[in-house]
Amino acid sequence: MSLRTYAAFFSPNARHVFRRNLLAWRKYAWSSVTINFAEPFVYFLAIGFGLGSYVRLGGQTRFVSFLAAGLLAALPMNSATFDAAWGVYERLNTSGVYESMVTAPVDPREIAAGEYLWQAFRALLYGTLFLIVMALFGLIASPLALLALVVVTLTGILFAIPAVALGATVPYQEQLFYYFSIVITPLFMVSGVFFPLDRLPVWARDVIWFTPLYHAVNAVRPLIAGRPTVGTLGDVAWLVVFIALFMALPMARLRKKLAS
Amino acid sequence: MSGGEGTREASVVEAQALSKRYGPVEAVRGIDFIVRTGERFGFLGVNGAGKTTTMKMIYCRIAPSAGSLRVFGLDSAAHAMAIKRRIGVVAQESAIDPELSVNENMLLYAAFFGMSGARARLKADELLRFVGLEGKGKAHIRELSGGMKRRLSIARALMNDPELLVLDEPTTGLDPQGRLLVWEKLSLLRAQGVTLLLTTHYMEEAARLCDRLVIMDAGRIYAEGTPAELIAQYAASDVLEIVGDAAALPDPATLDGLVRRSERHGETSYLYTDDGPALLGRLGALGFESRRHVARPATLEDVFLNITGRELAE
Repeated sequence: MSLRTYAAFFSPNARHVFRRNLLAWRKYAWSSVTINFAEPFVYFLAIGFGLGSYVRLGGQTRFVSFLAAGLLAALPMNSATFDAAWGVYERLNTSGVYESMVTAPVDPREIAAGEYLWQAFRALLYGTLFLIVMALFGLIASPLALLALVVVTLTGILFAIPAVALGATVPYQEQLFYYFSIVITPLFMVSGVFFPLDRLPVWARDVIWFTPLYHAVNAVRPLIAGRPTVGTLGDVAWLVVFIALFMALPMARLRKKLAS
Repeated sequence: MSGGEGTREASVVEAQALSKRYGPVEAVRGIDFIVRTGERFGFLGVNGAGKTTTMKMIYCRIAPSAGSLRVFGLDSAAHAMAIKRRIGVVAQESAIDPELSVNENMLLYAAFFGMSGARARLKADELLRFVGLEGKGKAHIRELSGGMKRRLSIARALMNDPELLVLDEPTTGLDPQGRLLVWEKLSLLRAQGVTLLLTTHYMEEAARLCDRLVIMDAGRIYAEGTPAELIAQYAASDVLEIVGDAAALPDPATLDGLVRRSERHGETSYLYTDDGPALLGRLGALGFESRRHVARPATLEDVFLNITGRELAE
């Protein structure tokens, strides 16, 4: 991993790629906001209040606030994964957007960096909307909840990494559905969004420790409750290290496709 | 010629033994050519001849497998970014961003060259006017015809004031009117001193637009010259096309040296001559009467046929 990888984030071209996505998004912003907000909101109402009325967690925590924090943590996984994987495939293979970018002096690494920045923005935007709804339902205990948005943004960048890599790799767009249903949906189910993991067997918890959404959930929940610990910092560090380690991979994929 | 900063030189592109291999496929097999500053240089060939691969190497989209390629005196592999700053590209599929408006397409491209604000907007307006798209700035891409999209990609490729404009089949898929408009714009650009490099499989386009051209087939260059030179060297001034009647046709060698060469493709015999009327007269005197024949001036099509043994038109 070279310095160029990190430098790409701060290049003007990464900002222009970001702005390109923003301009395109503005034309369908309302439907995009609705879709990305509606999904967690439906889970929140149906499972939080519906199923939740039958569920007792240990201690003082109400199930609906437990679930809401988990949904907030998982929201950027869903918003980044679908948009980045599908969009990158399209811009690389169908619409020729990247192809014309690299006729200008643009490095494919800068394109990937722009896509990460774009997913960071989406995560922050949709996360903020969801946080506002949580506040309206009286589920926010402390102003520390605002720090959860930092975790949400990081999670958006993190999940953009495999999504961009796959979008730049699969030969057929439909193959992305394997990733959505075999990786993303199970992660959504077993990372502690819907139920606490402390009754799972140790081996299962050990496996889950190696997956990213678990750490995002672990970091968001105490921040929403206003009781972060040193462990919270550890979970954030896990996310940061993951990003730093794997960020260059999709950049290499795009370079292979656009500069050879 | 040294590396580093290229300056305005006599030649814009110099290729020596340039090759490109994709796995077992050799798309370009060691070609040499020089594109001089300010000229219109063409690559004429059928699909699969290696024209697009050659263009992609010149605009630094792909790296050569072997040989040397210098653009503006700079090595193409080592100085890709510096070369891209000075080049304009109209790729084969007009890669206009379908999710952006006309203006947004222009301004985004300008941004990649460090242009922004009023300067970029003025330049975009000027170029849209130049290609006849004034007033279309806010239009959606899906509202544009094929010809308009092609002209938009020409305008976009001019945003950075390129010294060299590379056009890969600039008129393929356009209707006759759209083609004429593109030709007209390219002629105007040439008058402004922009070096034009284009590929085509239209003989008429090559004859009309190119000062010099090469004929490419199966990854190799077979001939090079001005359209007139190529016709004089590889065809003749006139062609007599005779359909059918092959058995009755006198042996060309017996026609008093009037036939420079002859070919047969399918049903048609081609007699290349420098004196069409005399040849017709001689055939008539020998008692040969064709029910179907055409006498016409020789074209690049004939040159192509002579060199490659294949027809250019599909």
